[in-house]
Amino acid sequence: MRARLNPILLFFAVAAALPLFFGATGLFYDAFQSIFVFALVGLGLNIITGFTGMLNLGMAAFMALGAYGFAILTCDIYPFQIGFWWGLLLSGAIGALAGFLLGAPTLGLSGDYLAIVTMGFGEITLDVLKNLEAITQGTQGINPLPRPTIGGWSIELQDERSWYYLLLVILGVAVLLVRHLERSRTGRAWLSIREDALASQCMGIPPKRTRMIAFATGSAVAAVGGALFAALLSSTGEPNSYDFQVSILALCIIIVGGMGSIAGTLIGAVVMVGMNSLVLVKIADWLGSRDHGASSNVLASPNNWKYLIFGLALILVVRLKPEGLVPPRLEGDAGAVPPQPPKSRSDAPRGGASA
Amino acid sequence: MSLLEVRDITMRFGGLTAVDGVSFDLRQGEILAVIGPNGAGKTTLFNAITGVYEPTQGSVKFRGSEVRRQPDAKLAIRSAAVAVLGAISTFVALNAQPIWLAAIDANYVLGKPFPWQKAFADAWTTARAVPLVWGIIPAIVGAITGAATVLALWHRLRRTPDLIARAGLARTFQNIRLFSDLSLIENVLVGMDSRLHCGYWTNLLRLPAFSREHSRSTAEAMELLEFAGLADRAHAAASSLPYGHRRRLEIARALASKPAVLLLDEPAAGMNPSEVTSLMQLIQRVRDRGVTVILIEHHMKLVMGISDRIVVLQYGRKIGEGTPLEIRSDRRCIEAYLGAEDEL
Repeated sequence: MRARLNPILLFFAVAAALPLFFGATGLFYDAFQSIFVFALVGLGLNIITGFTGMLNLGMAAFMALGAYGFAILTCDIYPFQIGFWWGLLLSGAIGALAGFLLGAPTLGLSGDYLAIVTMGFGEITLDVLKNLEAITQGTQGINPLPRPTIGGWSIELQDERSWYYLLLVILGVAVLLVRHLERSRTGRAWLSIREDALASQCMGIPPKRTRMIAFATGSAVAAVGGALFAALLSSTGEPNSYDFQVSILALCIIIVGGMGSIAGTLIGAVVMVGMNSLVLVKIADWLGSRDHGASSNVLASPNNWKYLIFGLALILVVRLKPEGLVPPRLEGDAGAVPPQPPKSRSDAPRGGASA
Repeated sequence: MSLLEVRDITMRFGGLTAVDGVSFDLRQGEILAVIGPNGAGKTTLFNAITGVYEPTQGSVKFRGSEVRRQPDAKLAIRSAAVAVLGAISTFVALNAQPIWLAAIDANYVLGKPFPWQKAFADAWTTARAVPLVWGIIPAIVGAITGAATVLALWHRLRRTPDLIARAGLARTFQNIRLFSDLSLIENVLVGMDSRLHCGYWTNLLRLPAFSREHSRSTAEAMELLEFAGLADRAHAAASSLPYGHRRRLEIARALASKPAVLLLDEPAAGMNPSEVTSLMQLIQRVRDRGVTVILIEHHMKLVMGISDRIVVLQYGRKIGEGTPLEIRSDRRCIEAYLGAEDEL
């Protein structure tokens, strides 16, 4: 077995070292904080869609539930105020519960129908958040949110480097836990359902319960991502920050990175979110400095290029590298052994019974 | 005593009767072959036995009892709980805003301790004050969710493949169904799932129990791969295997659950003579491990070579049963299927 650089470890090593070398500006931190948050959401979606093979188009709703759950439980305009860490934990629990409730009646549905149900759930959640004004403050969003405290030391909103490392550590813990699940009986059951649901059931794996657990786990991870998204802004933002485009962005992340691959999800988040909040912003600055910035033409502003670029990236990946930038099953084990050419004694044709 | 009693199994798909009143017994430790021309209903019979289909009529008894969940008090309790929960949450959803305003907004003053008891009391008063009409919708929703739960749970009372696999009947498929993106050893470990006990939280947090079970199950899976002659590629993807080896992996995966009965659906399909010979040896070794085998096969050399008894099907009916010698001399069976002398 050839020693192989573990791409996940590599990602975290580079991410931890980056602020030390890079000219650590506000733009850099903004971009990477948002990359880490979306990596978490992608990680959740990767469990549902990548591991278990259930297409979920409503990931933003779970993010929103996490964010609003966190906000209501911690913001000082409500009586609960349970603090940052409990809020984070409970927002994950809220996501899991929502996943269970949505999953219980719908996970018997096959692929396309489930996609439609989750999409509908996303829209319904948005409308509820907008209209339940007494509780969610409608379109204002809930703020301010508490700062995380670690043993008496609290991280200020402006302390971007601390936030960067905090998010990196939380992402690391989430990746570790998801990895534990993936490499265990639980995760194998998920993968087997994706590969062949009937065969998996004939091996004694209860399909519906296994799907429910995957759905709830993925929703919980995404909800924690949503809670951090809100904590970073110190506000949930308006409900529209969790619209359908966010769900699609999460899907783009795992498609570009590689379905069913944890490392792929991380890289996918860097590529897709980094493009959006680092590269395009830089280009906009550059154009602005040369007086090309303001124009009535929508395409003159690079921020409007992002959907073009998302689409292009998707087309390129699906066309050239359909398994994603970092395909699964290459991680750490020797699954990468190339298929050997059939030996003469074993290249009998498929089918064709000898009778 | 027979291990598996198949009684009067009938399988109808609309107007088509694929299997028609087939009965046979499977004795402990034997190799039973099911043969018949294409379309005779062999695979359908297998699917009915393993729970992929619910038979239209008839019963399959394994060790003297039918493998299915029994309707019990849990069913009623769970349905009732879901109904009540559905009703309450609908009521809360419809009245969330007034209850919240009365209980939280009216009582909370920034910086002052929150009077929880008063809040609960206010919430209760507000809920009580809701006109009765608003209770009707939640009641309807509760009834619907409760009924749906009864239906869903009732549906699960059928003989599902996962229950049957857990009871000790493992199978392979005619058109090989491996988990192709998983490695060989992971395929076997999925087959072993029913014998593993570590739950979700143990796996999530990698508690010590996980490591113990992990090393034990991995070693066992390696042993099975060795048994099937695949150990050297344990970590390669299943899709990288040549055709003949996939059959062997499927058998190893099925054996991983330590089944009492192994059902093989055309294991020799598409194999060349030397592969068939080694497959025969493999099946005999499986039997020697104490596993009773039923196989569907067209390959007469294999069937006549290893089976203790043969069941012959034609047009969904059983037309013969007996030892290979008896079947070979049975006129009806020869007419129906064996036909060409040179095959024997």
